[in-house]
Amino acid sequence: MRRSFNRWPVLVIAFWCGIFSVANAETYTPGQPVSHDFGGFAKAFLADYCLDCHGETSPEGDLSLNDLGSVDEINASTWRNIWAQVTLGEMPPKDAEQPEVIRRLQLSDLIVGELTRVMRDRGGFQAHLDPNKGNFVDHELLFGQLPAEIQLAPTSSPARIWRVTPQEHITRLNELINTEPAFDPNKPGVRTRGDVVPTNHGGELKLYFGTDRIIQWQGGTVAYATSVKSVPVVLSSARSHGLENYPYFYTVNSAEATQIMGVAGDIIRYMAEGPLSIAEAYQITDDPKSIADKMKGDLRGLPTSLVYSTKVARPLTPVSDLMANDVVTEAGLRAAVDYLFEALTFRPPSKPESDAYLAIVQQAIDKLGKEEGAVLGLSSIFLDRDALFRPELVEQGQADSYGRVMLQDWELGMAVNHALRYIKPDETLREAIVEGRMRTKADVEREVKRMLADDSIRKPRVLRFFRDYFDYDLGGYICKDEKALGDTGVSNRGQSHYRAMFDSAASTDRLIELVLQEDRDVLKELLTTDRVVATKGDGIYFGSKRSEEERAASVAAEKEALAATAKKREAELEVIEDEVAELEEMLKASPEEKKLEAKLTAKKKALATARKRSTAAKKRRSNVNHNVNPADVSGTKMFARVSRRSFGNGSMKPERFLATVPEGQRLGILTHPSWLVSHSDAMDNHAIHRGRWIYERLLGGGIPDVPITVDAMLPDEPKKTLRERMRVTREDYCWTCHKKMDPLGLPFEMYNHAGLYRQFELDKPVDTTGEIINSGDPELDGKVANAIELIEKIVASERAEQVFVRHAFRFWMGRNETLNDGPVLQDAYRAYQENGGSMKALLVSLLTSDAFLYRTRVTAVLADGG
Amino acid sequence: MLNRRRLLQGIAAGTGAALGGSLSPERLLAAPTGSTTPKRIVFFMQNQGFDPKTCIPEGMKSSGSLAKAKLPEPISALEPYKERLHIINGLHGIHTSPSHSAFFGALGGYRGSDGVPPSASTIDYELSKVLPETLLPHLCIGMDSIENMKTKPTIATLSASGAGQPIFMHSNPNHLYQMLYGGISSGDIRLQHEARSSVLNQIEQLAATKGRLLPDTEQQRYGQYVQGFKDVNGLRDRLDTASDHLRKFAPVVDERYSNPEFETDWHDAMLDLGISSLTAGITNTLTIGSGRGEIFGAWKGLGVEQQGHNLGHMNQHGNPIWIKIRQYNSRMLVRIMEKLESVPEGNGTMMDNTLIVYTSNNADKQHTNGANWPVMLLGNLDGAFKTGCFTQLNGKRPINALYTSLLRAAGHNCDRFNMDDKMAKKFDDSTGPLQEVLV
Repeated sequence: MRRSFNRWPVLVIAFWCGIFSVANAETYTPGQPVSHDFGGFAKAFLADYCLDCHGETSPEGDLSLNDLGSVDEINASTWRNIWAQVTLGEMPPKDAEQPEVIRRLQLSDLIVGELTRVMRDRGGFQAHLDPNKGNFVDHELLFGQLPAEIQLAPTSSPARIWRVTPQEHITRLNELINTEPAFDPNKPGVRTRGDVVPTNHGGELKLYFGTDRIIQWQGGTVAYATSVKSVPVVLSSARSHGLENYPYFYTVNSAEATQIMGVAGDIIRYMAEGPLSIAEAYQITDDPKSIADKMKGDLRGLPTSLVYSTKVARPLTPVSDLMANDVVTEAGLRAAVDYLFEALTFRPPSKPESDAYLAIVQQAIDKLGKEEGAVLGLSSIFLDRDALFRPELVEQGQADSYGRVMLQDWELGMAVNHALRYIKPDETLREAIVEGRMRTKADVEREVKRMLADDSIRKPRVLRFFRDYFDYDLGGYICKDEKALGDTGVSNRGQSHYRAMFDSAASTDRLIELVLQEDRDVLKELLTTDRVVATKGDGIYFGSKRSEEERAASVAAEKEALAATAKKREAELEVIEDEVAELEEMLKASPEEKKLEAKLTAKKKALATARKRSTAAKKRRSNVNHNVNPADVSGTKMFARVSRRSFGNGSMKPERFLATVPEGQRLGILTHPSWLVSHSDAMDNHAIHRGRWIYERLLGGGIPDVPITVDAMLPDEPKKTLRERMRVTREDYCWTCHKKMDPLGLPFEMYNHAGLYRQFELDKPVDTTGEIINSGDPELDGKVANAIELIEKIVASERAEQVFVRHAFRFWMGRNETLNDGPVLQDAYRAYQENGGSMKALLVSLLTSDAFLYRTRVTAVLADGG
Repeated sequence: MLNRRRLLQGIAAGTGAALGGSLSPERLLAAPTGSTTPKRIVFFMQNQGFDPKTCIPEGMKSSGSLAKAKLPEPISALEPYKERLHIINGLHGIHTSPSHSAFFGALGGYRGSDGVPPSASTIDYELSKVLPETLLPHLCIGMDSIENMKTKPTIATLSASGAGQPIFMHSNPNHLYQMLYGGISSGDIRLQHEARSSVLNQIEQLAATKGRLLPDTEQQRYGQYVQGFKDVNGLRDRLDTASDHLRKFAPVVDERYSNPEFETDWHDAMLDLGISSLTAGITNTLTIGSGRGEIFGAWKGLGVEQQGHNLGHMNQHGNPIWIKIRQYNSRMLVRIMEKLESVPEGNGTMMDNTLIVYTSNNADKQHTNGANWPVMLLGNLDGAFKTGCFTQLNGKRPINALYTSLLRAAGHNCDRFNMDDKMAKKFDDSTGPLQEVLV
């Protein structure tokens, strides 16, 4: 960076030096308000470290900070950039004089405070709370030696309410109308009670009614999908990459609330009557033939095309009891209210809550009669605050000297439950809560360890963390250009590719579960395993793209094989023809020979068959995919969790194989199509996304937001490789950030954008080289030949595991870490490491940490953001 | 940030329930004398494809006036309205994957398919945000077999307020009537309206009570949840207080509602309700899904015994079944126009400020690659659109370009709708609105 030392008046420099020496003697406690005046402090900082380059004349990057005033709506984006650059340590440049650590931290806090204040009524400022900015907290300060001037305060998380996630909500509602099978240790992987409701064949998250009782339907896949009763997820989730579930992300809007009310009515009716609520009585029979007269004609796509078995499959609850009885009693009504309340909020109602809902239902019944009134009245419970938000409000309990209150009883029990599960606390945890045994760290440790040790207690939240962390479940949502997809070697017909991607996400889920079950060096294993869970069709996706020569050879080989088969069949035919001719001659000579006649008849039949086979062999056309050398994905049979039948016989299938990837071509999840396609776009690989993932999720680096002035487009040059087109990111203005990402993503050019291994791109050997630059760990920096070398290098580092722990912290605490969380992170990392890379040990450590157990009722934003 | 306009949209995206706050019903109920000209758009999406031969006058190969042309039999009901008609042939929707329906992609202009969630908002929702504000900006109604409408009175297949945020369409006229006109109803509908109102009011109170002790940092986020109920209840109250006005437009509830002989009885009733929501000024955007965005549907009331999937496998041109269905559609379009024409607005009628977009969620046929996506426009939205003509395009511009034109005409300046530059390079040979349709 160009520097000039003659632009700032000497007098001013002397003045700011005075400030600097004062700052130097201070201590800094993260989360505590910085006592300095923003204007003076920031101006001094800019003068000391920024204005030499970003002064009035010919400023670097055309950014002059000379006249930058206090934060206002107009200059907020500039201050936001300064915040990012200073917080990340990007500015001042490495070769320039650096500010004291606490001075940097103080400026960062002050800018956040000012941006928060100024932007309060203008959309707010929350960048510092975004999980993608979690890495803005310096890794060395979290895991290394802290300067003496930094004094940490005991950590806690803010008191808050978490809106339930879409997956959690659908799974919660599913419990009301569907009975999922119990866990079968002999068939691990099969979807069981407590697992998340998976997305369907098209990637849509839906609640299905009565599909477990459908024994017959008319028509094909789409007819089935139209006939069955389903409702889409109501709660929204807008994020696509990264952690999706920080408490502050979402509320429930009026559209969602009114939709929930509608869905609630459908659910209550189904709880009461089962399929009778969505079908005619005659459709419920175990003998579909008995209703043949009613099933005449083309009923495809109609709900009346379905036949349901008579076996009751839904849970029978006090709600069904209430609806089945002609007489409404208060006891029956209260039982239904209390049952539904706990089913939806996961805790029993207080007496006032129970009374309030009882009154609502009773009034509705008085107005509309039992059936309509009960449905309407009970629907209100679906909109209770605690059915949609999980409170961590610590309204009871004494604050310690730091103002922190420990969660207890239902709030603590549900926090623990929510850390692992989507369904309500099991009986053991419920008892512990009710009996006052969920009040201490030891109580939490006991319950967490118990649940982690029991495979029958499904823990979909753990799997959700890995989905959020790796982002391997987005491939089915990336809309591919048909021709570009065909060029990769996979089928581009219909929805084939998208189905394969949804299947691959479920497969990767299962692979992760296998690694979690072993619970040894979890991150390392996920990044380096040679195992893959695959469908039969995944041989193509895990295969390698053939070069033109290889393709030609494959075509020729098949042609040769087909010709050989045709020749063989022709020869067989000729033999039989001769035999028939001979028999005919013999019969002509001895027409009385009955045996001969029978023999001839049989031989003629054989001749007809041989003719057919010969003709077929001549006509046979290739069904071989010559573009791809498929991988062998055979292996141990296993299962993956898929949706209930959503698309007739075309629904997702759970059957999988545990196979081994082709040696030298793949290494761990980052080289599987599920991850690769999730980080691709319509036409090609997305080397920048891939590189960013490596930089942020493994190396712990931070990337500032793309300035709004940047036209972030690569040139459209079909004859050039992605690497060649990415030359535009090497412009000075872009390269500062892109050098962190691009060289980490380009090694994955050894795969095409459908995830197939390739050695050629545009008929030339593909360039898979890359480099780790300024990772923060000098041992890691350097060039790599390809993605496999890159992964092997990073996976051996301590830093990657620490960064993994940081992401786990964010997921389970629902917020970004602050410096005050350093001890929690170090403990968690130590637990992980000392237990051989155990995810269970990591979870026990995190879930018994102060950050998880304590809440502080805060008003100041900075206390959250650090 | 709480934003009143967004809240209105939110409710519209829910079930088209209700709103609240300080806006007076008089101002929001499509006041013809207001400073902003009220405008409205209707989308009529017939499933199974829209064969261009069923709408382009015979022999008409290139763009030109319809004045001397004779409309084909399936749309002959529109003959008296030719001067308001604009037939557009040659848009494409290849990128929407419309075979077996593009679902949300038809109005979104992006890839859709069965079971695929919306990847962005759809044009009807976006228009409802930019058109002059009404109490309930967006209403979606769906028409299907009677069995499907009864078993699944609300489904979401065509419209969306954002990625992963489908908007439900109504198919049971009894429910929709209660929602729109519960306040002026009688009998069972009145009872249900009162009971529902009471429950929703109590939910609001409970929700508000549980928000009082929240930390400051959570107040705003939770406040939006509580505000949602306030708006729902507020709109209902305002609809109730505007009962004199609504009575003039509300359809009469008759036997068709409670005891339909054919599905078309409910189709007609749903259409009446949809039209009344426009004429009463309750809504500015109406989306009609005939066949509800899927590849089934039934029209037994027209004497069409075949239903569902087979209808899509037939060649529509010259097919008596499809002539009946398209004629039925055309009569519905006429009904919309006649009703809107009967309501004075400004110096003319409501129809003067209205545009009807008639097309299919399946492009030109059920099994299609979407290379041609015929559309008919009726009306001119206060003079913004050319009428009385046929336009033949070259197949190089996507349906997104038409949607861009709609947004421009509604006052929202944009160059593309739901199509980034990268996609546009492949699927659009131009930029901005369709010059051929805008005045």
